[in-house]
Amino acid sequence: MMGAYFRKMAGSTQSPPRVGLEEILWSWLGSFLGIGAVAYINYGWLDQIGLFLLLGSLGASAVLIYGAIKSPLAQPRNFLGGHIISALIGVTAFKLLAPHLWLAAPMAVAFSLAVMHATKTLHPPAGATALIAVISGPQVTNLGYLYALMPVGAGALVMLVVALLVNNLAPKRRYPEFWW
Amino acid sequence: MPDARDKPESAPTPGIGIKEEDILEAMRAIPGYLDITPGDFKEVYRLAFQHALERLSRAVTAAEIMTTDVVTVAPDTPVAEVAAAMGRRGVSGVPVVDAGRKVVGVISEKDFLTRMGVQDAKNFMSLVANCLMSKGCVALPMEAVLARDIMNSPAVTVAPNTPVKDIATLLTRSGINRVPVTDPDGRLLGLVSRADIVKATMGRIAP
Repeated sequence: MMGAYFRKMAGSTQSPPRVGLEEILWSWLGSFLGIGAVAYINYGWLDQIGLFLLLGSLGASAVLIYGAIKSPLAQPRNFLGGHIISALIGVTAFKLLAPHLWLAAPMAVAFSLAVMHATKTLHPPAGATALIAVISGPQVTNLGYLYALMPVGAGALVMLVVALLVNNLAPKRRYPEFWW
Repeated sequence: MPDARDKPESAPTPGIGIKEEDILEAMRAIPGYLDITPGDFKEVYRLAFQHALERLSRAVTAAEIMTTDVVTVAPDTPVAEVAAAMGRRGVSGVPVVDAGRKVVGVISEKDFLTRMGVQDAKNFMSLVANCLMSKGCVALPMEAVLARDIMNSPAVTVAPNTPVKDIATLLTRSGINRVPVTDPDGRLLGLVSRADIVKATMGRIAP
């Protein structure tokens, strides 16, 4: 019985094949333009009026929506839904549990994950969105629930528009697989 | 690569010889990153394949795959004639029908063997063995015997709308190789043999 338990840790299959060069280049271009657009808005405009759009978890999302675009995790429902739901949960965890951040942080992530599963919006980077709502200090926590709309919702939306435009330019790509 | 033999879900499924290498090749043929391991894909494939087989065999009925050009004999046909008819048509079993085409029994090779004194008759080879060991063949006592004397009666029959899947189960459970298809009054419509099921399944699986 213990043997079976440890044997599971050996793995049972192999890594999927490496993608082609063309795919790599399109992934590079998509993520460059997607994060570029958000960063430009962030540093070009919002920074001056004390707002921000460039969220760490969007970097993680870029991997999915420009690099693994067929994945269910990368579809608009998951991408937008996951981020916004997790943002709301993260803010709630902070509001209810601060200053006990050691508890607010895992609560935010665990509940986000559970609710994303239940709502079929699983999007791994959104776990970071929930965590950021708890751990980032006043610049984020002062936003309250606005955090879910801006930067999270708005930033994700900009990334999604770029994903639709760029991914579908590639001859062998199509995005999304489904919307909702 | 780790051995997958100890994984229960890797148990061999008849008709599915897909290997992880096949899946890797398929994944390479699809541009873009697929967010699934070859192992998971194989499992999805295996279950989907089984599901498709089940659905197809549920959908196909006896009427669609039965042989309608069936050799039959009457209850009072002498067994010599029964044997001759089976030999002529190259079949290993015949339904016995009365004057109104109602199926009253089935005769198979095995019924001959048992009547010829072969204990534990499994196939023709047991007869050969029996003949060789007793120095002489043993069909003679059967001269005056009629079909009704050796037939299996009542016959196991199925309705035309019986799913092939159920027929396969029936054949296996009853240890028989063919089953007459009859209308509600018991009249013969056709015959489904194991070969018919194999043929039908092949046609369905091949794209």
